[in-house]
Amino acid sequence: MAINLSNSNVGTRENRIGSITGYVGTLKDLAGQSECGTLKGCSRCFSQSSTCLSSCGLSQLAAIRDVAIIHHGPAGCSVSASSAYYMAKVMAKKRGVTSDTVYVGTDMNENDTIFGSTATLKEVILEVNKRYSPKAIFVSSACATGIIGEDIDSIVEEVRDKVGVPIVAVHCEGFKSRIWATGFDIADHAVLQEIVQPPREGVKTNKINFKNFFESARPEIIEMFKNFDLDPVFLYCNSSIEELSHLSESIATTCICGTLGNYLGNALEEKYGVPYVRSINQCGIKGFETWLREIGKVTNRSDKIEKYIEEQRAIYIPQIEEVKKELKGLTAVLGMGPGYTFEVSRVLDELGIKVVWALAWHYDKKYENGDVPPSMKYLLDNDIDFEASVADQQNYEVMNILNKYQPDMYLSRHPGSTVWAIKNGTPAVYVADEYMIFGYKHTLEFAKTIVDAIKNRSFEENLAKRTKLPYTDWWYKQNVDAFLEEAI
Amino acid sequence: MSDIMENPKGGCVLAGINSVLGALDRVCPVYHSGPGCCMQTTAADQGQSGHKNSCFVASVSIPSSNMLEKEVVFGGTDKLRTTIQGAIDIIDADAYFVLTGCTAGIIGDDIVSVTNEFSSKGIPVYPIDTPGFAGDSTLGYEIVWNNFIDQVIEEGVEKDDKLVNIFGIIPYHDTFWSGTLEEIDRVLSKLGLKVNTFFTKHQGIETIKKCSAAALNIIINPWLFKGPSEKFEQKFGVPSLRIPGLFVGATDTTVFVRKVAEALGLDKALVDKVIAEEEDYVYNYLAQAIGVVSWKRFAVVADANNAVGFTRYLANDYSFTPVLVIVSEPIFRPQDKERIIERINDLEYATPPKVLFLTDQYEINKAIREEKEEITLLVGSSNEREIALEKDIQFITGAFPVNERLIFNRTYAGYKGSLTFTEDIYDNL
Repeated sequence: MAINLSNSNVGTRENRIGSITGYVGTLKDLAGQSECGTLKGCSRCFSQSSTCLSSCGLSQLAAIRDVAIIHHGPAGCSVSASSAYYMAKVMAKKRGVTSDTVYVGTDMNENDTIFGSTATLKEVILEVNKRYSPKAIFVSSACATGIIGEDIDSIVEEVRDKVGVPIVAVHCEGFKSRIWATGFDIADHAVLQEIVQPPREGVKTNKINFKNFFESARPEIIEMFKNFDLDPVFLYCNSSIEELSHLSESIATTCICGTLGNYLGNALEEKYGVPYVRSINQCGIKGFETWLREIGKVTNRSDKIEKYIEEQRAIYIPQIEEVKKELKGLTAVLGMGPGYTFEVSRVLDELGIKVVWALAWHYDKKYENGDVPPSMKYLLDNDIDFEASVADQQNYEVMNILNKYQPDMYLSRHPGSTVWAIKNGTPAVYVADEYMIFGYKHTLEFAKTIVDAIKNRSFEENLAKRTKLPYTDWWYKQNVDAFLEEAI
Repeated sequence: MSDIMENPKGGCVLAGINSVLGALDRVCPVYHSGPGCCMQTTAADQGQSGHKNSCFVASVSIPSSNMLEKEVVFGGTDKLRTTIQGAIDIIDADAYFVLTGCTAGIIGDDIVSVTNEFSSKGIPVYPIDTPGFAGDSTLGYEIVWNNFIDQVIEEGVEKDDKLVNIFGIIPYHDTFWSGTLEEIDRVLSKLGLKVNTFFTKHQGIETIKKCSAAALNIIINPWLFKGPSEKFEQKFGVPSLRIPGLFVGATDTTVFVRKVAEALGLDKALVDKVIAEEEDYVYNYLAQAIGVVSWKRFAVVADANNAVGFTRYLANDYSFTPVLVIVSEPIFRPQDKERIIERINDLEYATPPKVLFLTDQYEINKAIREEKEEITLLVGSSNEREIALEKDIQFITGAFPVNERLIFNRTYAGYKGSLTFTEDIYDNL
């Protein structure tokens, strides 16, 4: 890929890497088609709510310490503020650092949509800079801002000298992409444009960039990496601007989720030669080992890593084997972002659970470097197949599948998705924490969580008995692809 | 653009509309908007309202046309048409309401023509053509009722002199809405009234259609619902009684009961009996807890309705000393501000507190931080917890947004709610 950091706009995932949001078929067909380049996504003539790329992009940036996010749009768009604010404070407190990050909206109203409001935006930027003295300022657009053609780039240029800290325009028009993960790329692009500096002369480091969401397993991963003489830099939650400015000096970049880390990893490799660790992710046994070995290869630490793997296997593998006895033959449906769906499918297979249907909210048929995502490649190479769809978080499609297949469990990583499964009487595991299946230890815990969830299902059964779901009987009898149509 | 808004409490008008529709049983909103508007607006109100979400359809299950660049350029009515048809096919609802995001509003999609295609066939599809940038969540509440008055509520329904409609408590945007409406319902039912809360008891579109039968519209809010109440009276001849602020505790709830009784000419003996029972219930408990809490000097940060209720209860019924009251929702009309100040200042014995109208979190925090008089109790939203910690003030979460606890039917309003409120003062010493 060619990453153009001189332009504040970043191409959408659809345009850059051919991502799709509509498909129904099998995993093998999906992977096969993406490998030979014939995959074409479908659109829907009926859809339920998707998600805004701005909440993905701006909540990433708002997690950075001591910065200001200025959301130039109607008040409704600034609402990620609440969760961003809350999470940032909670995570900073947990780690024992302080963050004075602030998230403000410009409260665009009807008049502004007619007459424009760039002059006021300029004043807002200067006032925010004065009030909060942030270490960097991100100025974002919204749908309304984009449609009326507010030129936030020019405003940023006009105030750049006056504010005296890094300031960057972030283009977050929600209508731009049907793939909200484009927001992750937008955040990366902004950081790469204005925050990351070229490596300093003669700086030697053992730092490895680790892109994740909420660094909940931070102490544990720091401990683990000490065995390999590596020092992880967690991004972006609680990152400081100073830390981010030196990302180009690290000896490698890795991430917890390919969807989240792909753009930054590839860009750092392309621009500064920092290798990006490309492997299946750390979920499950095979995933953890493959990922560690790849890090070993990239950073020249294979001996240490093999030693660690051997020690840990001795502790955990017998325990995991024990729990597996209780999971054998169970069936699962899962619905997650593509960075997890095809990784978690692999783990379920490892644990002896049969995946009857996997839904990915979107699907990147290749990554920035042109490869098929490693998680898909692994499943193909190991002859694992199941029914699969690309479902843009469409709840009606999930419910149709759950109703038809009546699996033993539904797994999802998105708030609001599991509750509908529970109302359907299906035990659900909310894989909320990104580290829930990380490495041997958490794979063991994950397996135990599944046992707990499916063994005691009285709440699900009682609730389902008394709850009427909104869907018509007609819909449950339809094929899940009833509303898909060829994309134009 | 007004100015800088750090952490707005609530969302755009679309968020308010969605909250109201989401609280009605078997009603399905259909968004004609960008892909993110539904989740953002759900997050704005329901997502910050004590972790309770709409039961019928919510967030990921709400139909949305998810407008993209193509629709922005070429118009989105075709996509809207198939989205409405799909919603009718798969969602078994009693009514569908089409809402517009900023995008649809700016490009000028004619949603009324599209909904007419369905309503002319007898399918209950209604347009609410108010884009997100038109205002905030509270406006959304009025917009919905204006649309109900124009499009849904029937004329010529036979009058029922025992039926009352309750307005002014916004679902989700007031975190305690369920419990508050249930307490109002409980008290008024004891007086022999039939109560339309609209958002509890599985009331839905049928209740709304027939609500013109009511003998009285009771507005429990110091400023909201002015326009719709006038329109309601004009079209259906139902008069309004405004209770200028939520009632918390025996004193104000009794005043509320007497006002309703007077407006409807209820039997005095029954009213006196109900009041006596309720007051006895409350004071019997209060009498069992004397001496546990030392007197407090308090501040309140809340929407106008709750700010009035909390201040008056703590100052009048509980003899605490009011210091500072911050009304944290946008209030535009000067006469509304005056009415709110008057309610907060008209106290039995206490010296009136300082009253400020601030919506920007930076200014709210600054006002509390710089207050010269001592404050030992702060009742506010989750957003004020931080400043309470900073100043080491006892804190109670009593107003929207509420992030740190699950709230089903809890309320601080009415007779019973005031006991819960008092319990919470003791709970968090």
